[in-house]
Amino acid sequence: MKEKKKRFKHEHGSSFSVDYYAYASHMRSWNAGFKVLFSIISLLICIACNNLFVSLAVIFFMGFLTVAVGGLDLHHYITMLLVPIVFLIFGTIAIAIGFSMRPVGQYHVHFLNLFYIYWSKASLLKAGGLVFKALGAVSALYMMTLTTPLSEIIAVLRKAHIPKLIIELMNMIYRYIFIMIDTHSRMKNSAESRLGYCDFKTSCYSFGQVASNLLVVSLKRGNNYYNALEARCYDGDLRFLEEEKPLKAGQIVMAVIFIVVLLLIWFFTR
Amino acid sequence: MQEKEPILKVEDLHFTYNGEKTALNGVDLNIYEGEKIAVLGSNGAGKSTFFLNINGVLKSHHGDIYYRGEKITKKNLNDLRKNVGIVFQDADNQIIASTVMAEVSFGPMNLKLPKKEVISRVDKALEYMNISEFKDRPPHYLSGGEKKRVSIADIIAMESEVIIFDEPTAALDPLNAAMLEEVLQKMGDEGRTMLISTHDVDFAYRWAERVIVFCHGKIIADDTPLAVFKQEDILKQANLKHPMMFDVYDILKEKGIVPDGDVYPKNIAEFQAMVKGL
Amino acid sequence: MSKKQKNLAVLASVFLMLLTIAPVSNAMHIMEGFLPVKYCILWGVICVPFLVIGFMNIKKVLGNDRRTLTVLALTGAFVFVLSSLKIPSVTGSCSHMTGTGLGAILFGPCVTSILGIIVLIFQAILLAHGGLTTLGANCFSMAIAGPIISWILYKLLQKANVNKRVCIFVAAFLGDLFTYCVTSFQLALAYPSEVGGIGASIAKFLGIFATTQLPLAVIEGILTVVIVIALETYAKDELSSLEF
Repeated sequence: MKEKKKRFKHEHGSSFSVDYYAYASHMRSWNAGFKVLFSIISLLICIACNNLFVSLAVIFFMGFLTVAVGGLDLHHYITMLLVPIVFLIFGTIAIAIGFSMRPVGQYHVHFLNLFYIYWSKASLLKAGGLVFKALGAVSALYMMTLTTPLSEIIAVLRKAHIPKLIIELMNMIYRYIFIMIDTHSRMKNSAESRLGYCDFKTSCYSFGQVASNLLVVSLKRGNNYYNALEARCYDGDLRFLEEEKPLKAGQIVMAVIFIVVLLLIWFFTR
Repeated sequence: MQEKEPILKVEDLHFTYNGEKTALNGVDLNIYEGEKIAVLGSNGAGKSTFFLNINGVLKSHHGDIYYRGEKITKKNLNDLRKNVGIVFQDADNQIIASTVMAEVSFGPMNLKLPKKEVISRVDKALEYMNISEFKDRPPHYLSGGEKKRVSIADIIAMESEVIIFDEPTAALDPLNAAMLEEVLQKMGDEGRTMLISTHDVDFAYRWAERVIVFCHGKIIADDTPLAVFKQEDILKQANLKHPMMFDVYDILKEKGIVPDGDVYPKNIAEFQAMVKGL
Repeated sequence: MSKKQKNLAVLASVFLMLLTIAPVSNAMHIMEGFLPVKYCILWGVICVPFLVIGFMNIKKVLGNDRRTLTVLALTGAFVFVLSSLKIPSVTGSCSHMTGTGLGAILFGPCVTSILGIIVLIFQAILLAHGGLTTLGANCFSMAIAGPIISWILYKLLQKANVNKRVCIFVAAFLGDLFTYCVTSFQLALAYPSEVGGIGASIAKFLGIFATTQLPLAVIEGILTVVIVIALETYAKDELSSLEF
């Protein structure tokens, strides 16, 4: 029972919450192209400047936008930020330390009499800076993904002249993902009800069975999907009506001021 | 009525899948404006294949289809798709877009209508199906009944002349099934031409004006509901049962409770009217 | 050793132990913001020729039969869903499949590259695994390098008449390992060691990630075998439509 609860939490706590939050965000009415552009510019500035203060500014402002303006629960936002943190921990530790057969570096410890782990003040600082830089980049990305549904992001990509075929595949994949998740949870429950996950070996077997079944069932439906498209005069070009979301002058001014402030921070703390 | 030109005229239609499985084996049918047709027949009898053929998705190997007197060839195939709409059995198979508005706009957009026209059609269709409030929502957060309504709005927005429903009540809960029947009634009252395939003989009996029975890729009966359900051999061949009202009437008749007048009641209301005088 | 150093040593060993058993979800995706701009661009540019070839290939297949489009989209969605599912593991941590080997074995490297980059974009946006600036690096390691190795190995072993299960396992296992080697190399290139430079850094990243990636690669290998065998038993017809 406990195990089941955990699994449930995992699936709903992190897997697709981004999609859900994006639809619920108050910032959904903002122009999608603007959000994408603003997010990517901020992200690039954050990485290119490689400056602690710039990173902090990006973290706070993007967090403010997503939470205060977008209306996302702060607790949910922090939970979302924890998702990439595992890589962050691994990655930054790996960058901060080094291994050596000889005692080198500013600080070092002898590990299990086999090798030395060493680090330095500079490497720690670098790793610390990297943590904030990465968090800044992630929060800029989140400002976009937590306020803009994927379908709108795809529409922006289409306007950016990404090949039609890719856009079409993306649109379909996005839709099919949710149909598959539905099918999968039904199959999994049925496997679970027959004790398909009682130990590691059976789990592997059941996982494989369910996964392959998922693909087979979906492929069998593939033809029906295409029929349904053609029945509505589909001619090789997925066209949908998009909601007009006008750009607001205030938002542009806000974005420009923020970017200028970032550059000023970078200039004065260089 | 019968002298009028049919909207759709199907002549000796044959269709085989991959040259192996024969799905349609010589189908002739005329569909006239404003008809409410129920299509009966067991699974695999050829109903869905027939629908895809008269919508122009599948191309028959033998036989012709005429739309308003004009023979359908590769050139005017889109006329058929435009004017014959299918609401598929599983809404998930049909819905492709990621918001309800985008989804309903897909058909009209493919018709290359001006944007203004698309918007007005989408709004009208959403209102008709009573789902205007879901406009910006993604289909994956809608319930089964709501998805079904979206899939119907899809076709309404295309303003097709003939609307086909492929087993519309399958997988719907009683409440949604009732909602659906209300919509079908409303569309029928507006004089729309509709074909509905179903396994629910009670529904077919009370709703339809004409019943077609498919069996092994052929039409084995095409008449009024009353006439079809009276032919025992047809029912047996297609594995169909009598509608409930039919049996109830027969029992009452046998017991001599109601007069033997061959006026089978269509629904509960008619039945009530009949027993009221007793 | 002074007392302080001793404490530090204990602390460090405890920490390393923790790391080895820590739940790792997606250590193979390089996170958003982790690479300097020039490496983001470098890896992006390296991906371009592979993606163009993949794109042309898909276009040709679709030119022959447009109906393949839904099949392609479904397989893309499948790889994404697969990568978002918790897989069984011994420690009870939550980890995910990459689907690299599976994609390569079923669809070949060309199609996998295009579907792979789309899946990576979706993972970055919907699951917060990986990122947009690191898309190039992740795409190269997971959608190009790994699948190519898997595919070559699979074809070679098949020609050599090796047992099918062994073929699949080796292809998926080594494809996974290669992906993680490439990721380590990408990180090492961007962050060389103070002593020993890039070479030492590669060894360091390989060593640290090995604790989680080795068992994961084994599990991925096993699961890929189970999935492919099940597919071949139940869905021979459907599989034939996947051979692009």
